[in-house]
Amino acid sequence: MTHLPPDRLPVPLPPDSGLAPLPPDGPQATPGDAAKLPRTEREASWHRLHPLSPLVRAGRHLVTIGTLVLVLFFANRKGTGSDLVVNLILVALVLAGGAVSWLVTRWQVADGVLRIETGLVRRQSLRFPLSQVQAIDVVQTGLARVLGLGELRLRMAGADSSGGRLASLPLADAERLRQHLLSMARAPGSLATRAAVATVPGIFSTGGEPADGREPRDSREPGRLLFRVRSRRLAAAIALSRTGVIAVAGITAMVAVGMLNRQPGVFASLLPLAVGVVLAVWRQFNSDYGATVVVAADGLRLRSGLVQTTAETIRPGRVQAVRLVEPLAWRALGWCRLEVDVAGPRQRRENRSESRRLRALIPVGSRADAEQMISELLTTRPAPSRLPPRSARWKAPLTYHFLGWGSDDRYVVASRGRVCRKTTWVPLEKVQSVRWVQGPVQRRLGLASVRLDVAGKRVTASIQDRGTAEAGEILRRLPGLASDARTRHQAAWAAGHPLGRSGAIG
Amino acid sequence: MTRAERPGHNTPAPGAPLADPGSSARPDETSVRWQRPSPLLLRARRIQAGLVTGPIALLAGLLLGVAASPAAGLGTGLGLGAAGVVAERFLARRVAAWGYAERNDDLMVRRGVLIRRESVIPYGRMQFIDVTAGPVERSLGLATLRMHTAAAASDARIPGLERAAAGKLRDNLAALGEAQATGL
Repeated sequence: MTHLPPDRLPVPLPPDSGLAPLPPDGPQATPGDAAKLPRTEREASWHRLHPLSPLVRAGRHLVTIGTLVLVLFFANRKGTGSDLVVNLILVALVLAGGAVSWLVTRWQVADGVLRIETGLVRRQSLRFPLSQVQAIDVVQTGLARVLGLGELRLRMAGADSSGGRLASLPLADAERLRQHLLSMARAPGSLATRAAVATVPGIFSTGGEPADGREPRDSREPGRLLFRVRSRRLAAAIALSRTGVIAVAGITAMVAVGMLNRQPGVFASLLPLAVGVVLAVWRQFNSDYGATVVVAADGLRLRSGLVQTTAETIRPGRVQAVRLVEPLAWRALGWCRLEVDVAGPRQRRENRSESRRLRALIPVGSRADAEQMISELLTTRPAPSRLPPRSARWKAPLTYHFLGWGSDDRYVVASRGRVCRKTTWVPLEKVQSVRWVQGPVQRRLGLASVRLDVAGKRVTASIQDRGTAEAGEILRRLPGLASDARTRHQAAWAAGHPLGRSGAIG
Repeated sequence: MTRAERPGHNTPAPGAPLADPGSSARPDETSVRWQRPSPLLLRARRIQAGLVTGPIALLAGLLLGVAASPAAGLGTGLGLGAAGVVAERFLARRVAAWGYAERNDDLMVRRGVLIRRESVIPYGRMQFIDVTAGPVERSLGLATLRMHTAAAASDARIPGLERAAAGKLRDNLAALGEAQATGL
């Protein structure tokens, strides 16, 4: 790469900064160089976040703290006043902590770099070169919505960088700042744009960006709406899902136990359990509510959430696998879920289990929705039509009905599962390794399975229970086919003609 | 010549090509020239099994001998020791099942007796390679080579390589991986 790495860009010292400037990164960071760069006064000045932002950031913990304080308060009401004083001091300390964190946090946009300084004891100075920003999202949590605030999230190019957060700004300001940052990130002829074009290929997708990567990408530009989940169907679907069934069964059991015992103590002891169950259902509903998928130039944009809204963009060429999930209860209603596996930095989520789940493009939808989405993601769609040999009945009497696989020169598809039918499409060029597995029962029946591993969250397309001859043939031929697909894919990307219709798989 | 038929281009490992009586069901038996880990691997595994079984048998025997009768202690100790010897029989088969083949575009690794596995890992998919050696392996001059891809599930491990051979294989694979590297 011939351009200056953005890290080495000379950074002018903020004139009104009372703090020590960042250490110069290279010998070229002299005041003389800095003076040559154009810099407007507005951009160079430091800004603070909204004063209520500590409150918003405390977010979900706030409810807990509030409850705790209330409980303490009522518990101590009978006692002397000194306990109340202690409580008040605690609350005051928490508030003071928030205020201090607000006071010491500030941000600045200058010369294509967003700088955030934060921390009282452990002072942090974060620099986000806008040229390397992958996406800028505005996220609103529930409380932030009430207060009209929004959080600006920068997604950076690094593999495990957490990205920058500005939490929180007034919503209008956040939107304006996002526009401003995006326009700066692609200002024509600026160092930033050149850096963006030069740094992105090779880091992310196979063979780099498509040729239209040079064109400005406005993440506000309207895309084509592909899917929007129906709220009533979502509620029904969750009630019919495993979480829902467990919740209903659990609550019924609790009520039954309570009725039989007729003692308030039993209820009290079961209360935390009930709260947990309800919370699990609520969390699912909250995260999937209003899920929309929009196709735009910068990829697939997902947006969802009732109280806490999240927005993410799946960039072209990063989908590793597509999975169609049809649980038993949903199948009767003709519903299904469509998930994709995405490589790249793991999103930091509040709960762990969330990060292990695949990203649902369609939390619940009709077959037609799924068909449309699949045809958007995949150019061709082989069906899992090749059925296993009859001897597989003995090994998998239940799932036999749904076992199958198929392939063409671009994709391999495999389906399995009886209660919850899962059909997985894997693009051949994304296959990381191929495994042939034969267990003792399979050996007796002359069967073997072949598994295709792709990057990401342990997704494997499993071609289950084939005859040994066929499995051997698959193992022999698939690596070659995958390698051909990779070569073709790279050539297509280099020529600037992504093969995928929307480019989501590419 | 198609891709699958190209033979491995390295010199064959010491020892005859892998002869496995139950392997007729395995794919690629004829077209791939399998190389196998060092014969010392069996000794390493035996030592490891002994190091686990010995102390357990001794400890259990002593405890029972003190708590119950000396005869019970002796019986338990001998029984556990016998279990270790039986396990050793299986060890030999498991060690014999290991094999790997360097082909033009990918590495093949096979293993397992009860559950048989055979993995194909394209060189271009390699993220990194590491060579490890535990205390027992080190004392015998052996090392384990492991190839990592972006997929968490891919499993390419070759145990019991002589250390020099492991280093050579690692460099070889790294060079091939670099030459054929592709993105995700």
